[in-house]
Amino acid sequence: MSGTSVVNALAVLLILTSMLVVETRKLRRAAYMYSIQSLVLVAIFLSLAVFMQAEPLYIWSITALITKTFLVPYLIIRTLKTVGNQEEEGPALETSSSIFLAVGLVALSFVIVEPFHMHAVLKLKVALAVSIAHFLLGLLCILARRNALKQILGYCLMENGSHLTLAIMAYNAPETVEIGILTDAVFAVLIMTIIARRLFKVFGTLDTDKFTLLKG
Amino acid sequence: MIEVGENILFYLPAVPLGTALLAFGIRSRRMVEVVHFAGISSVALLSLLLVQYVLRGQTLLALDGMLYADGLTALLVLIIGVVGFLDGFYSIGYLRHDLAQGQVDAKGACFYYGFYHLLLLTMVLAAISNNIAIMWVAIEATTLGSAFLVGFYKHKTAAEAVWKYVLICSVGLAFALYGTILTYSSAFAVVQDAHRAMLWTELVGMARGLDPQVMKLAFVFILIGYGAKVGLVPMHTWLPDTYSEAPSPVSALLSGVLMKCVLFGILRYYPITLQAVGKEFPQTLLLIFGLLSVGVAAFFILVQNDIKRKLAYSSVEHVGIIATGLGAGGPLGILAALFHVINHSLTKSLLFCTVGNVARKYGTRDAQKIRGMLKVAPFTGFMFMAGLLAVVGAPPFSIFVSEFMTLAAGLQGGYFWPMILFLVLLVIVFVAFIILISDTVLGFPPEDLPRGDAGWLCLLPLGILFLLMAGLGIHVPAPLNQLLQGAVSVVLGGK
Repeated sequence: MSGTSVVNALAVLLILTSMLVVETRKLRRAAYMYSIQSLVLVAIFLSLAVFMQAEPLYIWSITALITKTFLVPYLIIRTLKTVGNQEEEGPALETSSSIFLAVGLVALSFVIVEPFHMHAVLKLKVALAVSIAHFLLGLLCILARRNALKQILGYCLMENGSHLTLAIMAYNAPETVEIGILTDAVFAVLIMTIIARRLFKVFGTLDTDKFTLLKG
Repeated sequence: MIEVGENILFYLPAVPLGTALLAFGIRSRRMVEVVHFAGISSVALLSLLLVQYVLRGQTLLALDGMLYADGLTALLVLIIGVVGFLDGFYSIGYLRHDLAQGQVDAKGACFYYGFYHLLLLTMVLAAISNNIAIMWVAIEATTLGSAFLVGFYKHKTAAEAVWKYVLICSVGLAFALYGTILTYSSAFAVVQDAHRAMLWTELVGMARGLDPQVMKLAFVFILIGYGAKVGLVPMHTWLPDTYSEAPSPVSALLSGVLMKCVLFGILRYYPITLQAVGKEFPQTLLLIFGLLSVGVAAFFILVQNDIKRKLAYSSVEHVGIIATGLGAGGPLGILAALFHVINHSLTKSLLFCTVGNVARKYGTRDAQKIRGMLKVAPFTGFMFMAGLLAVVGAPPFSIFVSEFMTLAAGLQGGYFWPMILFLVLLVIVFVAFIILISDTVLGFPPEDLPRGDAGWLCLLPLGILFLLMAGLGIHVPAPLNQLLQGAVSVVLGGK
């Protein structure tokens, strides 16, 4: 199996795991799913590092392992301890229709990457399209789901998508850039979970449809 | 004159960082106020110093080209320094009131000042970073740094507002990150040098060689992403909630300074896109977003009852006006947009700070319940009236000049019908705020309301903001004019 096909296969696996994050109703389990999907992301970084001789990606896979596989899920689960294990309620999007939408998003992403002729990207177009689809899937999760913690997970999915794009298109960027972006991501999740806890304290729920004091 | 040269690029972020750390460590109200005041004064002085260097024709580079200052940087740093100082000054009186009322304890005040300077730090970094990815990191950090300030009060509504703020802005910025990566990778294809492909100064130089298809996509991502954080419609939904729920001096800082920092992020991509894909594409996009923002905001200003929300929508309107100026393009359009940036910073800071005084006096922000401001609190009432007249573009205030220039630039650019629409929308806003003046400032106050204005600490910053705002409407001093011209040529050609 050639390097590109390994990467592309892993990229498809990434989409599957992110569907699991979106579709899992129990939030604790969804956080674990996210942890698994970050592990897939780390595997992609590693295989890119091996097959493309992209040394910086070895370091990226270590930082991603620490922050995304452990730290971010930990932050979510720690929040769940204060607010109680949340289960999404209400008629959210049907699983079949969200799969349908996901396919649509993947197709859209392939259209988006069509005009890219950069040398580095040509061989990895599938992975690139998947990374963008992943980003859009995260966005979908935020728009279609009502639970605040689920929306945070949606943001994390978007973040994983852009991180993969970054790894494909800009792995040789200065190290400070990756550190900066990762630091922001972790702090964003930390701050969002703090706010989520406060929301739970004052509203008694994390259902964002109930936060309707501000209008117009 | 002290010669600090490039080092000023280190001092500028170092001072707010040091001040923030100190403030977090202090637990005494008096002490933290002294530290805070020293901090904002130093940043203001350093910003003036930077402007002076740039006016002498210097562009500063430091840290292997990572930090950079040209005319555009100087303009933004000047706003951060001066308006940041005045909003910070107002914060002191504002917080003392909260402390006296027992709404906030000394520890809360120390955290407020700490985060205030942390926000200044991130804004300064966004302004002086030459690396487009670090600029993104700094702008994302401004959201995180300001979250505490926005959610400062423990109300239910504040919690809801800060949630929308952080989520929508972070999601928006994720789009901007894509724009940044796309720009980098298309530059890397040209120069094959990872360090140079991220530097804005290099990108501008090679912009003609960048892949136009990719750069179009990049600009769309940047405009959506940073556009969400400046409050362009339809990504503005968080803004009225955030501006109305944050403490008044924080709203002033967000609208007067932070919004401009993010806007300058878009401005950095303007010359690159202009050269890579021609002027048609970016200008049309900016014009559409601009007019849409002015239109939607005009409607909401008219129907809102909460005066702070009215002002928040007015910020959306003014971002729209700035985008319209950029969309009109040409030296006149850019000049109009940049001049409007300064005018709006001063005027909106004045208004939000004034509303802080008003809301305390009347105990409400409902325009239907506030009457006879001039009789109850004459100074505050006068400032509110002057600020509102200025914000709708009544002469002799400076917004009149920059709005007029925007209109002229649009007509010059051949956008006849869009400019007619623009004018009609401005008239709607004009009417809405004139009604607000006649309702709240004039008229008879409630009988039982005691007369008397806020303390001098809450009035002096307003007076200074008013003088600056009114002064610029009558005469633009030569150094500022030179600075604006320099910034215009940066936006148009990168030099």
